Amino acid sequence: MARSRMKKEKTLGVSHRTRRYDLPLHQSGGTNFIVLLISLMSFLAVLAIASAFALSAMTDRWSSGLENRATIEVPATINDNTIRTKEEIADITSRLSASLKSDPHVESVKIMSNEEIAELVRPWLGDNLVLDKVPLPGLVSLTLTQSDKDTIAKLRGKIKIIAPAAQLDTHEGWLSDLLRFTGALKFSATLLIIVIAITTVTAIAGAVRSRLAVHSKEVELLHLMGATDNYISRQFQRHSLLLALKGSGIGLIAGALALIIIGWLFGKMDVNLLPDFSLSHMQILSFGLLPPTMALVAIITARQTVLRVLRTIL
Amino acid sequence: MIQFEHVGLRYGIGPEVLSDVNFALEPGSFHFLSGPSGAGKTSLMRLLYLGKRPTRGLMTMFSQNVNAMTREQLVPLRQRIGTVFQDFRLLDHMSAFDNVALPLRIQGKPEKEIRNNVEELLDWVGLGDHMHVLPNTMSGGQQQRIAIARAVITRPRLLLADEPTGNLDDDIGLRLMNLFEQLNRMGTTIVIATHSNQMMDKFNHPRLVLGEGTLKVEQSQNWIKQKLQGVF
Repeated sequence: MARSRMKKEKTLGVSHRTRRYDLPLHQSGGTNFIVLLISLMSFLAVLAIASAFALSAMTDRWSSGLENRATIEVPATINDNTIRTKEEIADITSRLSASLKSDPHVESVKIMSNEEIAELVRPWLGDNLVLDKVPLPGLVSLTLTQSDKDTIAKLRGKIKIIAPAAQLDTHEGWLSDLLRFTGALKFSATLLIIVIAITTVTAIAGAVRSRLAVHSKEVELLHLMGATDNYISRQFQRHSLLLALKGSGIGLIAGALALIIIGWLFGKMDVNLLPDFSLSHMQILSFGLLPPTMALVAIITARQTVLRVLRTIL
Repeated sequence: MIQFEHVGLRYGIGPEVLSDVNFALEPGSFHFLSGPSGAGKTSLMRLLYLGKRPTRGLMTMFSQNVNAMTREQLVPLRQRIGTVFQDFRLLDHMSAFDNVALPLRIQGKPEKEIRNNVEELLDWVGLGDHMHVLPNTMSGGQQQRIAIARAVITRPRLLLADEPTGNLDDDIGLRLMNLFEQLNRMGTTIVIATHSNQMMDKFNHPRLVLGEGTLKVEQSQNWIKQKLQGVF
């Protein structure tokens, strides 16, 4: 205790060997606030970028999985609500299959078994489905060579002849709705990233302006000693760089922890419709670009702000 | 070196604090700047250290018209001027060493050269054992010596000092005036603003006397004596 007090007294009023600043920017109030703000912005940026990545992966998977694919549904009921027997449905699907196999626009045909159909409806009807008691439709899965409107129209005509009540579903309708929805979400994520960038730039510019005002006498002194605007600007650039690296580092670590927790929560859920929240190695590595990007934004913002203000001074 | 022709200065839309100031300083000259409080000494010093431009008239420094120069063109001119401010204007977060080294660092001099020159100068002004002390823990006299060391470290061609010995005891004040004399003999033009008739009489250099916004040049007593001896 006594030794530490002695040490304190001995060094009182003596400058400590730290990195030299010509302007006391590191001692200015509000430094912690800027670090906190950049941390929060970086944290939000990590979440927004991760969401954009996950949504892109989801739309890619849906689009590629359903491209050139179609399903024929043979309803289990007829118009007057009489239920078709299993044999009737099997007969119709067999005839459809036989007819479409020879079609040049059809690459492959597969009649789905009752077990496969039950597996498809399981998320809605549950595990305790008794196949014999529930009237299931007949489903024929098609892989087409092309899925343009003419081909689909020809196929519909062909199906109509064999089974007038059968429906050809190209998934286009619900898929386009889903893609529009995910597109809107991706746009929102991009918008959020833009707002984060604008907020960061505004906060850094505001902080630089207030520091210029606080240290106007010191800035004038440097000018009078022959310092160029670039020399003075470099002081602010270095300070902003350090704050940005510190803030974005903290934000990145917090964001990474949040993603791990979100990924763990998604993993615990057994819902097939939700996207896979895992990220590729390249995507994870791209988060490493966040601190250098924030640093670059901070340097450019500080430089432009300082030069603009100094131009108004002699 | 310096020429003022009908120079006037006003702040904003206020009255002129300097009006129709005319004088010329030869290279290597030594002048005292005096005048009553409020006569405009600080404003004239501000024009001389290029902290302001005149609002009218022609101001020439180092053979260049200051009015016509861009901000960037003022930089090399400012690097040739050393200034001791009345309130010292030391940077309190920096040690005495770093304060004195600052003009050299701004000029991009190598650290080894900076260290040698600054240590030598601080020794000379009697602050060799206070190099790493922060200015705000020093006495007024010590701060003034740091301010003077900072102004002369670059061996400026023009040295401006506003009451440079005001807070110093006679012995240190005399040593610093001798330093100014020595710099002057090496070719530095010197202007010292002061109220002290005692100092002006002792060192006997011509005086720029400001009064009511205008300036007149009074020769030193020695100069007058020499002229009179030549006549009679």
